[in-house]
Amino acid sequence: MHPDFTAAPYIGYVYPNETVFPWGVLIVVYPYLTGLVAGAFTVSSLYQVFGLERLRPVAHFALLTSLCCMIFVPTPLLLHLGHPERAFNAVFTPHWTSAMAMFGYFAGFYVLLLMVETWFVFRPHIVHEAQQRAGPLGWFYRLLSLGSYDLSAEALRIDAKWILTLAIIGIPAAHGLHGYVGFLFGSLKSREWWSSDLMPVIFLFSAIISGVSLLTVLYVLSCRLRRIPVDADCVKGLGYTVWGFLMFTLLLEGVEFGSLVYKGREGIDMILLFVRTRLIIPFFVLQIGVGAVTPILILSYLFWRGTAGRKLVAGVTLSALLILLNVIMMRFNVVIGGQEISKTGVGLLSYPWVFLGKEGVFAAASVLVAPMLLLLMMVRLFPPWHESEPPRAL
Amino acid sequence: MPKHVRRLILVLLGFGVLALTVRHFVVDRSFYRYGHYRADALAEIARDQPKFRGTAYCQSCHGAEYDAWAHSPHNRADGGGIVKCEVCHGPGAGRDPGHDYIHAATGPVHPQNLHLAVPTDTRALCSVCHEQIVGRPAQQRQIVIGDHAGAQQCSLCHDVHAPSRLKGAIAVASLAGSAAAGQRKSAACIACHGPAGVSAAGLLGPTLAGQNRAYLAAALAAYKSGARKNPIMLGVASSLSSTDIEDVASWFSSQKCAVVPGGAEQLAAARKAGAAMCANCHGANGVPRSDAWPSLLGQSGDYLKGALRSYASADRSHIVMSTLARGLDDAAIERVAAWYSTAACKRGREDE
Amino acid sequence: MSDQESTAGVNGGRRAFLGCLGGAVAATASALLPDPGRAALPASPAAPAGDAAGKHQWAFGVDATKCIGCLRCVEACKAENEVALDAHHFRTWVERYVYVEGVDEPRIDSQSDPVNIAASGSEQHYRFANRYQEEKVEKAFFVPKLCNHCTHPACVQVCPTGATFKTADGVVLIDHTYCIGCQYCVQACPYGARFFDVENRVTEKCTWCYHRITRGLLPACVEVCPVGARVFGDRNDKQSPISRFLAENRVEVLKPETGNAPNVFYVGIDKDVR
Repeated sequence: MHPDFTAAPYIGYVYPNETVFPWGVLIVVYPYLTGLVAGAFTVSSLYQVFGLERLRPVAHFALLTSLCCMIFVPTPLLLHLGHPERAFNAVFTPHWTSAMAMFGYFAGFYVLLLMVETWFVFRPHIVHEAQQRAGPLGWFYRLLSLGSYDLSAEALRIDAKWILTLAIIGIPAAHGLHGYVGFLFGSLKSREWWSSDLMPVIFLFSAIISGVSLLTVLYVLSCRLRRIPVDADCVKGLGYTVWGFLMFTLLLEGVEFGSLVYKGREGIDMILLFVRTRLIIPFFVLQIGVGAVTPILILSYLFWRGTAGRKLVAGVTLSALLILLNVIMMRFNVVIGGQEISKTGVGLLSYPWVFLGKEGVFAAASVLVAPMLLLLMMVRLFPPWHESEPPRAL
Repeated sequence: MPKHVRRLILVLLGFGVLALTVRHFVVDRSFYRYGHYRADALAEIARDQPKFRGTAYCQSCHGAEYDAWAHSPHNRADGGGIVKCEVCHGPGAGRDPGHDYIHAATGPVHPQNLHLAVPTDTRALCSVCHEQIVGRPAQQRQIVIGDHAGAQQCSLCHDVHAPSRLKGAIAVASLAGSAAAGQRKSAACIACHGPAGVSAAGLLGPTLAGQNRAYLAAALAAYKSGARKNPIMLGVASSLSSTDIEDVASWFSSQKCAVVPGGAEQLAAARKAGAAMCANCHGANGVPRSDAWPSLLGQSGDYLKGALRSYASADRSHIVMSTLARGLDDAAIERVAAWYSTAACKRGREDE
Repeated sequence: MSDQESTAGVNGGRRAFLGCLGGAVAATASALLPDPGRAALPASPAAPAGDAAGKHQWAFGVDATKCIGCLRCVEACKAENEVALDAHHFRTWVERYVYVEGVDEPRIDSQSDPVNIAASGSEQHYRFANRYQEEKVEKAFFVPKLCNHCTHPACVQVCPTGATFKTADGVVLIDHTYCIGCQYCVQACPYGARFFDVENRVTEKCTWCYHRITRGLLPACVEVCPVGARVFGDRNDKQSPISRFLAENRVEVLKPETGNAPNVFYVGIDKDVR
């Protein structure tokens, strides 16, 4: 076997070139990351734009989380590309018919937007540190301050306007950033498993639930680490958000799968065989059973009972963890599952798991862990916690 | 506008200008000329050197092989098919990664120091097209390799450049010769070869009745020249002039034999007897495809066995029979000889 | 750019002598000499091929009733285009469809099938295994496959950089110096014609031997096919092999429902051909 590729075993008939999987776990991780970005930003916007005061404790933390994930979003792509040094070809000469060409612009625009909004949000802190800190850290803050220490009421008012504007623009931007990924899959004619008009919407809604869930878990974790009580009301807000979006996501996924089966186009026999055999654990058990139905039941029960306090926090956090599993399984079942079903319609391949190397599981896992490490650093540089501050007058 | 907002906008604009500048220098000049691609790529792709050169390229040095090929079934668009030189020899300017060609130490260099590739295993090569496998259309000539060739290479019998030309197929000049004169001149032959050339058990010589004329003439000439060694026949043949040889050959070949059915059943029976390979040249009922080859019909089993053994031991030598006979073990020789000796002889060919 | 070809005398003995003395020196020297009596390789096109807009409209035909599954085309393509020598990367391949009595669906196999790999002995040579001899086969045939050079190629549509494109003369090509290797085009092709070249880390596919057809030669697979199962030519020329093929036959294309409008026209395929 050539060391640079692993051929996949198969049953039935597949085209000879299909025996090498083009996209692996890195391409599973990539939409997961952009989903976290979009979801975390949604939480931030729910506070900034829609005025959900409940979410105040996590609003700025959500922004930082979104930014940290966004910074690492290109990483799995660069690792996957045959020529990462040519990556900017897609930005310099974007082929506008390609959804992937959109990536350069959506991502570029969005990362700028995030950086600018974060800058505006943390400006008071930046200015404060710029004036106080010495050493290289001090230089860092002074650079960020752009040489202006203006924290007058007028300046802050204008800042708030910018924040609001960016938050509003950021909503469609974030949704475009992640929605195009769904379109990337859904627009292809070659794979029946991917080809669906609902794909962008499904990706988007599952992105939102993943981001909100991540925030829930990280918020509770951060409270534990900071040894302060968890704001149960905030967690309740997060819980409501994720509950609503999760039910709709499940509906969408059900409709999509149902209409695929109902239409029963050519190749459906192999798809059904795939679903009945290979997908039992990854799809029915993990994604739907454990990852969707269980959290819905837990959350429904919690809200119906009016649970509060520690029990609520525990329940919502557990649901959040399960939803994180749901979304990674969804990405996996779409990306890998789609490639396991042969384009011939009469073959099934088996994804050859690779652990080492740049396309391996360890690399993909590192890409998921890295934003968390960055976040650890970022919350020290830009503390997003509001407990000591008075509520915003809005 | 507050100072920091102004500066922010300047930073963003600066970044934009930087990005556009970089883009201007990085993007190839020829991009967008014909469409959304680098126009220069077309010329770059077209500039690759072809590796297959075509038959005219080979002809310029290998005229003889080219001529043989040009008149062969491998150069017939309707029916035969066109198997060009490089199909078997590999591209004139290519690579031989499988190392299944021998690279001639001498011979002209086909560009980049690649020597002419001569396929070593013709059996593996020819069977790529001619092995009978499921899916091959009926118009393709196909064989079951084991039946047709036993364990032999195709090049043993077939001229590789003109495969319908079989080795050992001597050119048959049109023979004159009078059968009547031959009858008179062959009186002495009866003692060993039997009356009217039909031999029997106990007689020294094989059946000559109905044997191919050209073969008889060639055999007598070979005995006379010593190419075939037999003391009795040497004496006999030495006393015959070339006219005598033609007459005698004409007489014996015109003698009748009993009629025997031919066709597919015969072929199947021959295959069962292990004589499928022999049938390629000598026919399933012993009537050979070429006049220059001996008919085996009704030939005595002992004679056939003796003949095969003398080919194997190099007492008799023949470009094809020597190798074939060496590939037969004693049991196979018995079987083949037994099969052909039971087939009565027939005048004419099996497909007439 | 002129094509320099090495040359030597026809006399093998003299060559051997020279070869003994210093073959390398001789070869270099002889490489610079003109080539007497040898059929010349056509020169590369003087003008960039893009200027050929409207001059040619290349198309390809496949007569699956003639294909004998010898796989000379597969090996020739690999030699001509220096494709990776394994059983998982093909610019062109041949499929066999076998209908066994009593079974509706055909058994399909191709060059990446382990049984066929075993029959050829290695992944560098290609043969169909002599299978199904014991079974009652009702119908069986071979179908050569290659890139269809579609009129509305899905692969070109999804390429983010413009590295893959359709030329004015109808060929879909890949600019190997511009491709970033994202493999979106590999996903988009409904025919499985594209693949990732692990050595050069860009995508690859059949180019109809663009470097040959622009010199007036045939693609390598067409050149070597012994039975004329592959047909190539210029549709602008009404007397070209492909024009006659299209005029004289009822042709079909693979997966017409995709809307890609392929330009490889098939005769003699079956309802189950994928």
